[in-house]
Amino acid sequence: MQVTLKIFRYNPEKDSAPHYETYTLEAEPTDRVLDLLEKVKSYHDGTLAFRRSCAHGVCGSDAMRINGVNRLACKVLVKDLGTTNITIEPLLGLKVVKDLIVDMEPFFENYRKVLPYFINDEPPPPDGRERLQTPEERERFDDTTKCILCGVCTTSCPTFWADGQYFGPAAIVNAHRFIFDSRDRGAQQRLEILAQDSGVFRCRTAFSCTEACPREIQITKAIAEVKRAILTGRLD
Amino acid sequence: MSGPSTAFKGYIKYRGYGHVAFLLHRLTGLGTLLFLLIHIIDTSFVYFWPEGYMHAIALYRSTPFMIGEIFLVFSVIYHGVNGLRIIYFDMFRPDLWERETGKRSVIWTLIISIVLWLPAALIMVRNILVHH
Ligand code: FES
Repeated sequence: MQVTLKIFRYNPEKDSAPHYETYTLEAEPTDRVLDLLEKVKSYHDGTLAFRRSCAHGVCGSDAMRINGVNRLACKVLVKDLGTTNITIEPLLGLKVVKDLIVDMEPFFENYRKVLPYFINDEPPPPDGRERLQTPEERERFDDTTKCILCGVCTTSCPTFWADGQYFGPAAIVNAHRFIFDSRDRGAQQRLEILAQDSGVFRCRTAFSCTEACPREIQITKAIAEVKRAILTGRLD
Repeated sequence: MSGPSTAFKGYIKYRGYGHVAFLLHRLTGLGTLLFLLIHIIDTSFVYFWPEGYMHAIALYRSTPFMIGEIFLVFSVIYHGVNGLRIIYFDMFRPDLWERETGKRSVIWTLIISIVLWLPAALIMVRNILVHH
């Protein structure tokens, strides 16, 4: 089958403004959008820039907007798009470095703000082994351990588009992962950070993050749980 | 980069169920706010500028304004129903923010709003036809 790719192109060093370039190529229905980008780069235009690494939905480096929705290019099959006209654009809300590559630093800055690491200064158990928890306690935050920090959710969020200071769904998901971990002791600290102006209450429940997440994390639910923990002071 | 123009671009170009619900919520909210503002201003005319008030009332009886009112009713209903959905999910049932349930709730909100709006809209359309 033939597909038409319309790709956002912008080289800040040469172009005064972004433009779109169209490429027509042969594709299999089972090709992934990432395969098409590779084809364009190999056979049509070697200057096309995009990130990719694992090509299997694990590293999270090829997040982009495909036909108006944030996706990982390596997880989208051509046949699932329902059209042969494919528009590919960079993530919204982050500065374009070149073509489909955006500067992820503001995203990681927000991530670091929520203390996304294990906090517990109590001495380890006397046997010197790991801190134990029950399967139920582990289950409590299982969903939010799946995040790969691809940025799909945060850059699908209308609040983040308007204000990059908003921590964004990804940072809250990673805070949730530790807040509800029975072994962690930093919950209060994180909840205080998340109760600030740029924290969870900026969420307008647009729900785009949940729809877009390539790991199918129930993000809006996690955010609602954090909101509730702040309001009630309870961690159940 | 984030900012008003990026937000505007996203509003227009992004796709998805939740996104549509979010946009409708914004638009209907802004629409209702605009109406309220105009209404507060024209009502204040009664005191400051009575002729202006009479003029405003006459204007409201013109066809374009009456059609606008039909949309105003939709705005109020949709904004209310969707607002209740969000409050209920967020405060009482976060588990309903699950991918499929969430999507379906967007459609249901729209259906309920339209069902509530239609009778009012029909009466209002009839009024326009009778008066003009
Ligand atoms: S290339 Fe690693 S997630 Fe797609």
